[in-house]
Amino acid sequence: MLSDRELERYDRQIMVFGVEGQEKLKQARVAVVGVGGLGSPVAYYLAAAGVGTLLLIDEQEPELSNLNRQILHWEEDVGRNPKPLSAKWKLERFNSDIKIETFVGRLTRDNIGEVLNGVDVIVDCLDNFETRFLLDEYSQKKGIPLVHGAVEGTFGQVTTILPGKTKSLREIFPSVREKKGKFPIIGATAGVVGSIQAMEVIKLLTGLGEPLLNKLLLVDLAYNTFDVVELR
Amino acid sequence: MKVTVRYFARYRSLVGKSEEELEVPDGITVRELIEILKERHPVLKNEVFAEEDDLADVNVSRNGRYVRFDEVLRDGDIVAIFPPVSGG
Repeated sequence: MLSDRELERYDRQIMVFGVEGQEKLKQARVAVVGVGGLGSPVAYYLAAAGVGTLLLIDEQEPELSNLNRQILHWEEDVGRNPKPLSAKWKLERFNSDIKIETFVGRLTRDNIGEVLNGVDVIVDCLDNFETRFLLDEYSQKKGIPLVHGAVEGTFGQVTTILPGKTKSLREIFPSVREKKGKFPIIGATAGVVGSIQAMEVIKLLTGLGEPLLNKLLLVDLAYNTFDVVELR
Repeated sequence: MKVTVRYFARYRSLVGKSEEELEVPDGITVRELIEILKERHPVLKNEVFAEEDDLADVNVSRNGRYVRFDEVLRDGDIVAIFPPVSGG
């Protein structure tokens, strides 16, 4: 049941998806894997929306060069507070009605079952395909929806994977050759793409609209283009 | 036959345009088109596309649908090429 305070807090979005939708968000437990450029806006907006439990996963501490995009981390966190803990501190003060769980460490084939046990949606905010494919495998095995996002420069892509209903990430990107090292990125690009991922989660949980199922959204903010490629 | 090629993300920056119409041999496959593009824009060959193997780094859609490299193209097709990006 939503409290009076929650009904007031979420009033403007209850106008969109109803009290039932808000209840569904409150009951949900969502894993944000990678609390960086994408993970920051994803976690921020899902906290704002009142997703009941957020599980934040990352192994790193913020670096100064992360701050152009990773807006949940501040100067005082640099080299000090692991990203999930840095984000938890702000999100708990932002919305005290939700629960923030953390896992500081790297997801591996050995620990993924334990770490992600019981989540309703997985949000891929990672910066490498090796771990993405691990998430994809787990999502397929357990039948858990996976919201994929990735960015570079002014460009980004988003698709939502529903096991059994859509292609898997591995089927969409069969053999990615990973570029190693630093990639270029403007923070607002991650803001746009992460916000779209947060919308995907809200759509999955409330039944609003149509998630990007078997559709790959390609965004290029340098040239104002939004294209949807059919993956079927 | 004529096909329109659209470039996305860093391909667009490298090629310097968003799309172009090309006259190509009838009935070529996506793979053969990619070879033509590599000849036409060496910058793609050198910096982006896989050199010898299965063009692993290129994603291709034909008329808005994601396709494999053995798909045969037809006159008037719009082919988009885009790289998978991996940053977060």
